[in-house]
Amino acid sequence: MRHIPAIAGRELRAWFVSPVAWVVLVLFALLSGFFFLMQVRLFQEVLSYYQQIQQLEALRSVTLNNFLLFGYYQTIWLVLLFLTPALTMGLFTSEKINGTQELLLTSPITFWELVLGKYLAAVAMVTLLLLLLALQTATLFVFGNPEFWQTAAGLLGLWLVGLGYAAVGCFASSITKSPLIAFFLCFSILLLLFLLGQIASIGMAATAGAPAAHWLTDALRWLSSDRHFEALLRGLLDTRSITYFVFLIAFFLVLTRGVVESARWR
Amino acid sequence: MIEALGLSKRYGDVLAVDDVSFRAEAGEVVGFLGPNGAGKTTTMRLLTGFLPATEGTVRIAGHDIFEAPGLARRAIGYLPETPPLYPEMQVQSYLRYVARLKDVPRKRLRDAVERAMERTGLGELRRRSIGQLSKGFRQRVGIAQALVHEPEVLILDEPSVGLDPIQMREIRQLLRELADSGRDGAGQTIVLSTHLLGEVEAICCRVILLHAGRKVLDQPLSELTRDGGSLEDVFTRHTLREPLAAEAEAEGA
Repeated sequence: MRHIPAIAGRELRAWFVSPVAWVVLVLFALLSGFFFLMQVRLFQEVLSYYQQIQQLEALRSVTLNNFLLFGYYQTIWLVLLFLTPALTMGLFTSEKINGTQELLLTSPITFWELVLGKYLAAVAMVTLLLLLLALQTATLFVFGNPEFWQTAAGLLGLWLVGLGYAAVGCFASSITKSPLIAFFLCFSILLLLFLLGQIASIGMAATAGAPAAHWLTDALRWLSSDRHFEALLRGLLDTRSITYFVFLIAFFLVLTRGVVESARWR
Repeated sequence: MIEALGLSKRYGDVLAVDDVSFRAEAGEVVGFLGPNGAGKTTTMRLLTGFLPATEGTVRIAGHDIFEAPGLARRAIGYLPETPPLYPEMQVQSYLRYVARLKDVPRKRLRDAVERAMERTGLGELRRRSIGQLSKGFRQRVGIAQALVHEPEVLILDEPSVGLDPIQMREIRQLLRELADSGRDGAGQTIVLSTHLLGEVEAICCRVILLHAGRKVLDQPLSELTRDGGSLEDVFTRHTLREPLAAEAEAEGA
């Protein structure tokens, strides 16, 4: 495992030398800032609306955490859905384009070192994005009083989602030579994972009453990411949701390692 | 020391390398010759373990490339057909990165990188981005990365491609030196492929001629040109033999 820092370090430096990292960071800062303001405005409008119509019950449920931050993190999730594939698309494709995989695969490094080195670089970038987000979130504590632990848990949840998406990105980048294909492949997998829940509901409606289909819809439901990250973004660190993302990361990293190894058999 | 035994590589129906065996000792410079598509690059990829052989074994410095890959790979310096470079990296940090991948101890990293740059004449370009370098200098960086960990075995796929005549002479000079005393005076084993016959004459002590994936000739250079014939004659004779034989048969029939 001693080669991992060298590999991850090179990857990070490459991101910051080329404009990729800066573009992603600037885009993220702009988008998240914009969505934050939108969310603050929406929050104020909803509050004053409920006050006008004297819906005190509803008013109580509209808190900084449940409304503002949850909505905000949902839009950030949408940003991650685009930015993570953009970030990870070059991880393995660039090695194939530069011809450097010939250097890597003839060096005394293992496949795991290679895959984990690259993944770690992506993790570092995702972490950086989430730190930016934490900074933005922190301003709320200056002007309001959100629940600290719920907020922290929401951020942690979003971080976990980002790590899961980075693992999918690693995989997509390992199976093709074209960064563009890697981007769309990663994006499609993420979208599919998100939509599995909807697909399961449609299946449920179509096969209503047939007990055999139950385990399938249940499985699809579990596999779909939306429920899991919704829970996480709300600040519920549910072990099932955490397990789901840990499983997602492990699954796609194992796949990536398999693809990298199989490349030499072709 | 390189030991290849019965190496074959099959791509679908095509036999790219067909039962090639040879041995190269420390201090030897072996030239792989052959027309394009003869299997030179594939053979080198088999030797470095980049591709797994369909059949046969490779031992580098006594270690089997697939059973003890760590040890065997540490003993190899490899320049692929296209130098494996990251265009955005600077020469020095790139060589440092390669040295780390090749397990050069931390304390010796700086010296190893300095030495590789000095030998390939890259010292003044250390801070330049590789992407900005000319083709000749990129080739030199490729050679430098193969040397940086002072491997026992050097496998160079067309090392002088893209070099001008002066650079070419410098690189040949360097390879000669490496073979003589490169590694702690023990001498490195060097295998290089080329289709420049002059290069073979200038630095190789042995020639292995590949044709259609097979080894058709394996002789010391001195024996090859002993009877006064030029290397070119030998090359043409061996690589054209089959079509000529086929023609002769057709005429006979």
